[in-house]
Amino acid sequence: MAPGFIEAIVNRVVPASAFALGVSRVVVHGIFLVSVLLTSFSALGRLPVTIMRPTGAMKLLPWSFYDQLLTPAGITVLQIVMVLSLLLSTLGLFTVVSTKLTFLLVLFYQGLLRSFGHFNHDEMLGVYCLAVLAFTPCGDEFSLDQKLRKIKKARPAFAYAYAILLMQLLMAWVYFSSVLVKLRTTGLAYLSPDNLPSLAIFHSLDNLHDTSFRLAFWLPHVTSYLPYAVGLVLLWEIVFPLAVFCHRLRWWILTAGIVFHLSTLFFMNIFFPHQLALYLLFIDWDRLRMWSQGTTPNTSL
Amino acid sequence: MTRLHVKYAILTCAIFLPLFWSFVYVRNVYPITTWNVMLGGALLERGRSYWILRGETVSGDTVDIPAIKLTNALYSRNWTMVNATVGNRAFQITNLHPANAELLRQAGGLENLPPGARLPDLLRAWGDIYNDRLPGTSPQRLKAIRLDMYRWEGGRYADYDNFIQSWRQDL
Repeated sequence: MAPGFIEAIVNRVVPASAFALGVSRVVVHGIFLVSVLLTSFSALGRLPVTIMRPTGAMKLLPWSFYDQLLTPAGITVLQIVMVLSLLLSTLGLFTVVSTKLTFLLVLFYQGLLRSFGHFNHDEMLGVYCLAVLAFTPCGDEFSLDQKLRKIKKARPAFAYAYAILLMQLLMAWVYFSSVLVKLRTTGLAYLSPDNLPSLAIFHSLDNLHDTSFRLAFWLPHVTSYLPYAVGLVLLWEIVFPLAVFCHRLRWWILTAGIVFHLSTLFFMNIFFPHQLALYLLFIDWDRLRMWSQGTTPNTSL
Repeated sequence: MTRLHVKYAILTCAIFLPLFWSFVYVRNVYPITTWNVMLGGALLERGRSYWILRGETVSGDTVDIPAIKLTNALYSRNWTMVNATVGNRAFQITNLHPANAELLRQAGGLENLPPGARLPDLLRAWGDIYNDRLPGTSPQRLKAIRLDMYRWEGGRYADYDNFIQSWRQDL
Protein backbone atom coordinates (compact mmCIF):
# COMPACT_ATOMS: atom_id res chain seq x y z
CA MET A 1 0.00 0.00 0.00
CA ALA A 2 1.48 3.36 -1.01
CA PRO A 3 2.47 5.68 1.87
CA GLY A 4 0.47 8.49 0.31
CA PHE A 5 -2.66 6.36 0.35
CA ILE A 6 -2.10 5.43 4.01
CA GLU A 7 -1.61 9.09 4.87
CA ALA A 8 -4.85 10.00 3.14
CA ILE A 9 -6.75 7.32 5.06
CA VAL A 10 -5.21 8.31 8.41
CA ASN A 11 -5.92 11.98 7.84
CA ARG A 12 -9.49 11.08 6.89
CA VAL A 13 -10.08 8.90 9.99
CA VAL A 14 -8.36 11.27 12.43
CA PRO A 15 -8.45 14.82 11.12
CA ALA A 16 -5.88 16.07 13.61
CA SER A 17 -3.34 18.83 13.93
CA ALA A 18 -0.34 19.72 16.08
CA PHE A 19 -2.82 21.42 18.39
CA ALA A 20 -4.88 18.24 18.83
CA LEU A 21 -1.80 16.17 19.59
CA GLY A 22 -0.63 18.85 22.04
CA VAL A 23 -3.96 18.68 23.89
CA SER A 24 -3.69 14.87 23.91
CA ARG A 25 -0.27 15.24 25.55
CA VAL A 26 -1.77 17.45 28.25
CA VAL A 27 -4.59 14.93 28.80
CA VAL A 28 -2.38 11.85 29.14
CA HIS A 29 0.45 13.44 31.11
CA GLY A 30 -2.02 15.48 33.15
CA ILE A 31 -3.85 12.34 34.24
CA PHE A 32 -0.64 10.86 35.63
CA LEU A 33 0.39 14.20 37.16
CA VAL A 34 -2.87 14.45 39.11
CA SER A 35 -2.61 10.79 40.07
CA VAL A 36 0.93 11.23 41.42
CA LEU A 37 0.05 14.44 43.25
CA LEU A 38 -2.81 12.67 45.03
CA THR A 39 -0.64 9.73 46.07
CA SER A 40 0.98 9.36 49.47
CA PHE A 41 4.52 8.37 48.54
CA SER A 42 5.63 8.50 52.16
CA ALA A 43 3.19 5.68 52.98
CA LEU A 44 4.36 3.70 49.96
CA GLY A 45 7.95 4.06 51.15
CA ARG A 46 7.07 2.44 54.47
CA LEU A 47 5.88 -0.83 53.01
CA PRO A 48 8.28 -3.69 53.72
CA VAL A 49 10.41 -4.52 50.71
CA THR A 50 10.28 -8.18 51.75
CA ILE A 51 6.66 -8.53 50.56
CA MET A 52 7.58 -7.39 47.04
CA ARG A 53 7.54 -9.75 44.08
CA PRO A 54 9.17 -7.82 41.23
CA THR A 55 7.16 -8.42 38.07
CA GLY A 56 8.38 -8.74 34.47
CA ALA A 57 11.07 -6.20 33.65
CA MET A 58 11.20 -5.12 37.31
CA LYS A 59 13.14 -8.33 38.00
CA LEU A 60 16.11 -6.81 36.19
CA LEU A 61 16.76 -4.43 39.08
CA PRO A 62 18.71 -5.73 42.09
CA TRP A 63 17.23 -6.00 45.58
CA SER A 64 19.76 -3.48 46.86
CA PHE A 65 18.12 -0.90 44.62
CA TYR A 66 14.65 -1.61 46.06
CA ASP A 67 16.12 -1.57 49.58
CA GLN A 68 17.37 1.96 48.92
CA LEU A 69 14.21 3.09 47.14
CA LEU A 70 11.71 1.98 49.77
CA THR A 71 13.03 4.36 52.40
CA PRO A 72 11.70 7.82 53.28
CA ALA A 73 14.58 9.48 51.41
CA GLY A 74 14.48 7.17 48.41
CA ILE A 75 10.76 7.43 47.82
CA THR A 76 10.84 11.23 48.28
CA VAL A 77 13.44 11.51 45.53
CA LEU A 78 11.27 9.40 43.23
CA GLN A 79 8.24 11.56 43.99
CA ILE A 80 10.08 14.84 43.36
CA VAL A 81 11.61 13.63 40.09
CA MET A 82 8.25 12.30 38.90
CA VAL A 83 6.35 15.48 39.73
CA LEU A 84 8.96 17.68 38.04
CA SER A 85 9.09 15.51 34.93
CA LEU A 86 5.31 15.26 34.69
CA LEU A 87 4.99 19.03 35.15
CA LEU A 88 7.45 19.69 32.33
CA SER A 89 5.87 17.19 29.97
CA THR A 90 2.32 18.32 30.74
CA LEU A 91 3.20 21.96 30.20
CA GLY A 92 5.22 21.05 27.13
CA LEU A 93 8.62 22.36 28.19
CA PHE A 94 11.69 20.55 26.82
CA THR A 95 9.06 18.21 25.44
CA VAL A 96 11.39 15.99 23.42
CA VAL A 97 13.27 15.05 26.59
CA SER A 98 10.59 15.44 29.25
CA THR A 99 8.04 13.17 27.55
CA LYS A 100 10.62 10.39 27.28
CA LEU A 101 11.74 10.85 30.88
CA THR A 102 8.13 10.83 32.08
CA PHE A 103 7.44 7.66 30.10
CA LEU A 104 10.39 5.89 31.72
CA LEU A 105 9.55 7.11 35.23
CA VAL A 106 5.87 6.18 35.01
CA LEU A 107 6.81 2.83 33.48
CA PHE A 108 9.08 2.15 36.45
CA TYR A 109 6.59 3.43 39.03
CA GLN A 110 3.70 1.35 37.68
CA GLY A 111 5.96 -1.69 37.67
CA LEU A 112 6.87 -0.98 41.28
CA LEU A 113 3.20 -0.87 42.30
CA ARG A 114 2.47 -4.10 40.44
CA SER A 115 5.34 -5.75 42.31
CA PHE A 116 3.33 -5.39 45.52
CA GLY A 117 -0.10 -6.37 44.28
CA HIS A 118 -1.36 -7.91 41.07
CA PHE A 119 -0.98 -6.92 37.43
CA ASN A 120 -4.04 -4.70 37.22
CA HIS A 121 -4.73 -2.93 33.98
CA ASP A 122 -6.22 0.49 34.73
CA GLU A 123 -3.10 2.56 34.10
CA MET A 124 -1.55 0.35 31.42
CA LEU A 125 -3.33 2.00 28.50
CA GLY A 126 -2.01 5.34 29.76
CA VAL A 127 1.52 3.93 29.92
CA TYR A 128 1.26 2.87 26.28
CA CYS A 129 -0.08 6.31 25.34
CA LEU A 130 2.94 7.84 27.09
CA ALA A 131 5.12 5.65 24.86
CA VAL A 132 3.36 6.98 21.76
CA LEU A 133 3.70 10.60 22.90
CA ALA A 134 7.37 10.14 23.79
CA PHE A 135 8.22 9.42 20.15
CA THR A 136 5.86 11.78 18.33
CA PRO A 137 5.95 15.59 17.96
CA CYS A 138 3.44 16.29 20.72
CA GLY A 139 5.10 19.55 21.76
CA ASP A 140 4.77 21.39 18.45
CA GLU A 141 1.66 23.22 19.66
CA PHE A 142 -0.26 23.77 22.88
CA SER A 143 3.05 23.79 24.73
CA LEU A 144 5.51 26.17 26.32
CA ASP A 145 8.06 25.02 23.78
CA GLN A 146 5.87 26.48 21.05
CA LYS A 147 5.60 29.82 22.91
CA LEU A 148 9.36 30.00 23.33
CA ARG A 149 10.09 29.03 19.74
CA LYS A 150 10.36 31.76 17.14
CA ILE A 151 9.74 29.59 14.08
CA LYS A 152 6.78 27.27 13.76
CA LYS A 153 7.75 23.71 12.90
CA ALA A 154 6.36 22.48 9.60
CA ARG A 155 5.34 18.84 9.52
CA PRO A 156 2.70 16.99 7.53
CA ALA A 157 -0.70 16.53 9.23
CA PHE A 158 0.01 12.78 9.16
CA ALA A 159 2.73 13.26 11.81
CA TYR A 160 0.06 14.33 14.29
CA ALA A 161 -2.95 12.37 13.05
CA TYR A 162 -1.16 9.02 13.16
CA ALA A 163 -0.09 9.52 16.78
CA ILE A 164 -3.67 10.17 17.83
CA LEU A 165 -4.93 7.27 15.74
CA LEU A 166 -2.38 4.99 17.42
CA MET A 167 -3.64 5.95 20.90
CA GLN A 168 -7.26 5.43 19.84
CA LEU A 169 -6.37 2.05 18.36
CA LEU A 170 -4.71 1.09 21.64
CA MET A 171 -7.94 1.92 23.46
CA ALA A 172 -9.89 -0.17 20.94
CA TRP A 173 -7.44 -3.03 21.40
CA VAL A 174 -7.95 -2.95 25.17
CA TYR A 175 -11.66 -3.72 24.87
CA PHE A 176 -11.58 -5.86 21.75
CA SER A 177 -8.79 -8.14 22.97
CA SER A 178 -10.40 -8.28 26.41
CA VAL A 179 -13.59 -9.84 25.06
CA LEU A 180 -11.63 -12.31 22.94
CA VAL A 181 -9.57 -13.39 25.96
CA LYS A 182 -12.74 -13.86 28.01
CA LEU A 183 -14.36 -16.01 25.35
CA ARG A 184 -11.15 -17.98 24.72
CA THR A 185 -10.55 -18.80 28.37
CA THR A 186 -14.11 -19.40 29.59
CA GLY A 187 -16.21 -19.73 26.47
CA LEU A 188 -19.94 -19.34 26.83
CA ALA A 189 -19.64 -20.18 30.54
CA TYR A 190 -18.87 -16.50 30.89
CA LEU A 191 -22.59 -15.94 30.36
CA SER A 192 -23.48 -18.19 33.28
CA PRO A 193 -26.14 -16.52 35.50
CA ASP A 194 -23.93 -16.94 38.58
CA ASN A 195 -20.72 -15.64 37.07
CA LEU A 196 -21.30 -11.92 37.60
CA PRO A 197 -23.00 -12.10 41.04
CA SER A 198 -20.36 -14.39 42.55
CA LEU A 199 -17.53 -12.26 41.17
CA ALA A 200 -19.20 -9.01 42.25
CA ILE A 201 -20.00 -10.27 45.74
CA PHE A 202 -16.46 -11.54 46.25
CA HIS A 203 -15.12 -8.06 45.44
CA SER A 204 -17.60 -6.49 47.89
CA LEU A 205 -16.83 -8.51 51.01
CA ASP A 206 -13.54 -7.07 52.29
CA ASN A 207 -12.38 -3.58 53.16
CA LEU A 208 -9.20 -3.86 51.11
CA HIS A 209 -10.84 -2.71 47.90
CA ASP A 210 -10.95 1.04 47.31
CA THR A 211 -14.71 1.37 47.77
CA SER A 212 -17.30 -0.59 49.71
CA PHE A 213 -20.45 -0.44 47.61
CA ARG A 214 -22.92 -3.21 48.41
CA LEU A 215 -25.03 -3.31 45.24
CA ALA A 216 -23.49 -6.71 44.39
CA PHE A 217 -25.70 -8.34 47.00
CA TRP A 218 -28.77 -7.34 45.00
CA LEU A 219 -27.58 -9.19 41.87
CA PRO A 220 -28.65 -12.72 43.02
CA HIS A 221 -32.25 -11.47 42.84
CA VAL A 222 -31.98 -10.84 39.11
CA THR A 223 -29.73 -13.68 37.95
CA SER A 224 -32.05 -14.63 35.09
CA TYR A 225 -31.45 -11.25 33.42
CA LEU A 226 -27.69 -11.16 33.96
CA PRO A 227 -26.60 -13.30 30.99
CA TYR A 228 -28.28 -10.73 28.71
CA ALA A 229 -26.58 -7.83 30.51
CA VAL A 230 -23.19 -9.56 30.33
CA GLY A 231 -23.83 -10.42 26.67
CA LEU A 232 -24.50 -6.75 25.93
CA VAL A 233 -21.21 -5.80 27.56
CA LEU A 234 -19.35 -8.37 25.45
CA LEU A 235 -21.07 -7.02 22.33
CA TRP A 236 -20.09 -3.48 23.28
CA GLU A 237 -16.45 -4.56 23.70
CA ILE A 238 -16.50 -6.26 20.31
CA VAL A 239 -17.81 -3.20 18.51
CA PHE A 240 -15.60 -0.73 20.40
CA PRO A 241 -13.14 -0.37 17.45
CA LEU A 242 -16.00 1.29 15.55
CA ALA A 243 -15.52 4.24 17.90
CA VAL A 244 -12.27 4.91 16.06
CA PHE A 245 -13.55 4.62 12.53
CA CYS A 246 -17.23 5.58 12.71
CA HIS A 247 -17.68 9.04 14.16
CA ARG A 248 -21.46 8.76 14.26
CA LEU A 249 -21.29 5.71 16.55
CA ARG A 250 -18.41 7.05 18.63
CA TRP A 251 -20.42 8.87 21.27
CA TRP A 252 -22.88 6.00 21.74
CA ILE A 253 -19.98 3.59 22.27
CA LEU A 254 -18.14 5.92 24.64
CA THR A 255 -21.31 6.68 26.61
CA ALA A 256 -21.86 2.94 27.00
CA GLY A 257 -18.26 2.74 28.21
CA ILE A 258 -18.89 5.34 30.90
CA VAL A 259 -21.98 3.44 32.03
CA PHE A 260 -19.99 0.17 32.04
CA HIS A 261 -17.13 1.52 34.13
CA LEU A 262 -19.47 3.19 36.61
CA SER A 263 -21.37 -0.10 36.87
CA THR A 264 -18.21 -2.02 37.73
CA LEU A 265 -17.51 0.58 40.41
CA PHE A 266 -20.92 0.35 42.08
CA PHE A 267 -21.49 -3.38 41.59
CA MET A 268 -17.96 -4.77 41.87
CA ASN A 269 -15.90 -2.08 43.61
CA ILE A 270 -13.58 -2.18 40.62
CA PHE A 271 -12.91 1.07 38.81
CA PHE A 272 -10.68 2.12 35.94
CA PRO A 273 -10.44 5.93 36.34
CA HIS A 274 -7.27 6.34 34.30
CA GLN A 275 -8.70 4.39 31.39
CA LEU A 276 -12.00 6.24 31.59
CA ALA A 277 -10.25 9.63 31.59
CA LEU A 278 -8.44 8.60 28.42
CA TYR A 279 -11.79 8.68 26.58
CA LEU A 280 -10.86 12.36 26.17
CA LEU A 281 -8.52 11.19 23.39
CA PHE A 282 -11.59 10.66 21.24
CA ILE A 283 -12.60 14.33 21.34
CA ASP A 284 -11.91 16.18 18.10
CA TRP A 285 -9.96 19.02 19.68
CA ASP A 286 -9.55 20.90 16.37
CA ARG A 287 -13.29 20.95 15.87
CA LEU A 288 -13.82 22.05 19.46
CA ARG A 289 -11.32 24.89 19.02
CA MET A 290 -13.00 26.05 15.84
CA TRP A 291 -16.37 25.88 17.54
CA SER A 292 -15.08 27.95 20.47
CA GLN A 293 -13.70 30.50 18.01
CA GLY A 294 -17.00 30.66 16.17
CA THR A 295 -15.65 29.24 12.91
CA THR A 296 -17.26 26.44 10.93
CA PRO A 297 -15.39 23.15 10.86
CA ASN A 298 -14.89 21.53 7.48
CA THR A 299 -15.07 17.97 8.75
CA SER A 300 -18.10 16.07 9.84
CA LEU A 301 -18.30 13.99 12.99
CA MET B 1 8.70 6.12 2.00
CA THR B 2 9.88 8.97 4.19
CA ARG B 3 11.81 8.86 7.45
CA LEU B 4 8.57 9.69 9.26
CA HIS B 5 6.83 6.63 7.80
CA VAL B 6 9.69 4.37 8.85
CA LYS B 7 9.74 5.85 12.34
CA TYR B 8 6.00 5.40 12.78
CA ALA B 9 6.12 1.87 11.39
CA ILE B 10 8.79 0.97 13.96
CA LEU B 11 6.81 2.65 16.76
CA THR B 12 3.65 0.76 15.79
CA CYS B 13 5.47 -2.58 15.67
CA ALA B 14 7.29 -1.90 18.94
CA ILE B 15 3.97 -1.34 20.68
CA PHE B 16 1.64 -3.80 19.02
CA LEU B 17 3.83 -6.87 18.39
CA PRO B 18 4.45 -7.46 22.13
CA LEU B 19 0.74 -6.85 22.76
CA PHE B 20 -0.18 -9.49 20.18
CA TRP B 21 2.27 -11.94 21.77
CA SER B 22 0.80 -11.27 25.20
CA PHE B 23 -2.71 -11.72 23.81
CA VAL B 24 -1.93 -15.03 22.07
CA TYR B 25 -0.33 -16.56 25.16
CA VAL B 26 -2.58 -14.70 27.68
CA ARG B 27 0.50 -13.70 29.64
CA ASN B 28 1.31 -10.47 31.44
CA VAL B 29 5.04 -9.82 31.51
CA TYR B 30 5.39 -6.27 32.68
CA PRO B 31 5.11 -3.99 30.81
CA ILE B 32 3.71 -6.27 28.14
CA THR B 33 0.02 -6.58 28.82
CA THR B 34 -2.93 -8.68 27.94
CA TRP B 35 -6.27 -7.39 29.11
CA ASN B 36 -7.40 -10.54 30.90
CA VAL B 37 -9.63 -8.62 33.28
CA MET B 38 -12.84 -9.76 34.94
CA LEU B 39 -12.46 -13.26 33.58
CA GLY B 40 -15.00 -15.90 34.40
CA GLY B 41 -14.36 -18.78 36.71
CA ALA B 42 -15.92 -17.12 39.73
CA LEU B 43 -18.31 -20.03 39.94
CA LEU B 44 -20.77 -19.94 42.78
CA GLU B 45 -19.55 -23.31 44.02
CA ARG B 46 -16.03 -22.05 44.43
CA GLY B 47 -15.20 -20.78 47.93
CA ARG B 48 -13.32 -17.56 48.44
CA SER B 49 -11.29 -16.13 51.31
CA TYR B 50 -11.19 -12.45 52.10
CA TRP B 51 -9.83 -10.14 54.77
CA ILE B 52 -10.97 -7.24 56.93
CA LEU B 53 -8.38 -4.85 58.31
CA ARG B 54 -9.22 -3.60 61.78
CA GLY B 55 -7.59 -1.51 64.45
CA GLU B 56 -7.87 -1.55 68.24
CA THR B 57 -7.72 2.00 69.58
CA VAL B 58 -6.20 3.06 72.88
CA SER B 59 -9.72 4.04 73.98
CA GLY B 60 -10.80 0.41 73.56
CA ASP B 61 -12.80 0.65 70.33
CA THR B 62 -12.39 -1.65 67.35
CA VAL B 63 -12.51 0.20 64.06
CA ASP B 64 -12.55 -0.95 60.46
CA ILE B 65 -9.66 0.55 58.50
CA PRO B 66 -10.05 0.73 54.72
CA ALA B 67 -6.63 -0.08 53.30
CA ILE B 68 -6.93 2.57 50.60
CA LYS B 69 -6.75 5.24 53.32
CA LEU B 70 -3.35 3.95 54.38
CA THR B 71 -1.58 3.13 51.12
CA ASN B 72 -3.47 4.86 48.32
CA ALA B 73 -0.52 4.28 45.98
CA LEU B 74 -1.59 0.66 45.93
CA TYR B 75 -4.89 1.74 44.39
CA SER B 76 -6.84 -1.40 43.34
CA ARG B 77 -3.99 -3.58 44.53
CA ASN B 78 -4.19 -3.56 48.34
CA TRP B 79 -6.35 -6.69 48.41
CA THR B 80 -3.98 -8.69 46.23
CA MET B 81 -1.01 -7.42 48.22
CA VAL B 82 -2.59 -8.98 51.32
CA ASN B 83 -3.57 -12.09 49.40
CA ALA B 84 0.02 -12.57 48.26
CA THR B 85 1.49 -11.80 51.67
CA VAL B 86 -0.77 -14.29 53.44
CA GLY B 87 0.15 -16.87 50.80
CA ASN B 88 3.90 -16.23 51.29
CA ARG B 89 4.18 -15.50 47.57
CA ALA B 90 7.34 -13.43 48.12
CA PHE B 91 9.00 -16.70 49.14
CA GLN B 92 8.02 -18.44 45.94
CA ILE B 93 9.89 -16.31 43.41
CA THR B 94 13.18 -17.32 41.83
CA ASN B 95 15.22 -14.35 43.05
CA LEU B 96 14.42 -14.10 46.76
CA HIS B 97 15.10 -10.99 48.80
CA PRO B 98 18.17 -11.83 50.97
CA ALA B 99 16.14 -11.42 54.17
CA ASN B 100 13.46 -13.77 52.84
CA ALA B 101 16.09 -16.28 51.76
CA GLU B 102 17.52 -16.24 55.28
CA LEU B 103 14.07 -16.65 56.87
CA LEU B 104 13.32 -19.52 54.54
CA ARG B 105 16.63 -21.15 55.43
CA GLN B 106 15.91 -20.81 59.15
CA ALA B 107 12.43 -22.28 58.71
CA GLY B 108 13.83 -25.22 56.78
CA GLY B 109 11.75 -24.76 53.66
CA LEU B 110 8.57 -23.21 52.35
CA GLU B 111 6.39 -25.96 53.79
CA ASN B 112 7.56 -25.05 57.31
CA LEU B 113 6.82 -21.37 56.91
CA PRO B 114 3.58 -20.28 58.63
CA PRO B 115 0.96 -18.51 56.46
CA GLY B 116 1.61 -14.78 56.35
CA ALA B 117 5.22 -14.99 57.48
CA ARG B 118 5.77 -11.34 56.50
CA LEU B 119 2.31 -10.16 57.55
CA PRO B 120 3.53 -8.72 60.89
CA ASP B 121 5.84 -6.38 58.93
CA LEU B 122 2.98 -5.22 56.72
CA LEU B 123 0.61 -4.76 59.66
CA ARG B 124 3.22 -2.80 61.60
CA ALA B 125 3.82 -0.55 58.61
CA TRP B 126 0.07 0.05 58.21
CA GLY B 127 -0.36 0.65 61.94
CA ASP B 128 2.48 3.16 62.01
CA ILE B 129 1.11 5.01 58.97
CA TYR B 130 -2.29 5.23 60.69
CA ASN B 131 -0.92 6.43 64.03
CA ASP B 132 1.47 8.96 62.52
CA ARG B 133 -1.50 10.84 61.10
CA LEU B 134 -2.97 11.36 64.57
CA PRO B 135 -1.77 13.53 67.47
CA GLY B 136 0.23 11.64 70.09
CA THR B 137 -2.57 12.13 72.63
CA SER B 138 -5.45 11.08 70.39
CA PRO B 139 -7.67 8.30 71.82
CA GLN B 140 -8.15 7.13 68.25
CA ARG B 141 -4.53 6.00 67.97
CA LEU B 142 -4.13 2.29 67.59
CA LYS B 143 -2.58 0.05 70.20
CA ALA B 144 -2.87 -2.91 67.84
CA ILE B 145 -3.84 -3.65 64.27
CA ARG B 146 -5.18 -6.92 62.98
CA LEU B 147 -6.20 -8.68 59.83
CA ASP B 148 -9.25 -10.90 60.16
CA MET B 149 -9.62 -13.64 57.60
CA TYR B 150 -13.07 -14.85 56.56
CA ARG B 151 -14.31 -17.32 54.01
CA TRP B 152 -17.37 -17.48 51.84
CA GLU B 153 -17.70 -21.18 51.16
CA GLY B 154 -19.83 -20.59 48.10
CA GLY B 155 -22.66 -22.79 46.88
CA ARG B 156 -25.31 -20.23 47.79
CA TYR B 157 -25.72 -16.52 48.25
CA ALA B 158 -25.51 -16.59 52.05
CA ASP B 159 -23.11 -17.26 54.92
CA TYR B 160 -20.53 -14.89 53.61
CA ASP B 161 -18.60 -14.37 56.83
CA ASN B 162 -17.19 -17.58 58.27
CA PHE B 163 -14.32 -16.49 60.47
CA ILE B 164 -11.09 -18.40 59.79
CA GLN B 165 -8.23 -16.74 61.64
CA SER B 166 -6.72 -13.44 62.68
CA TRP B 167 -3.26 -11.91 62.58
CA ARG B 168 -2.68 -9.28 65.29
CA GLN B 169 0.22 -6.91 65.66
CA ASP B 170 0.83 -4.79 68.75
CA LEU B 171 2.01 -1.27 67.96
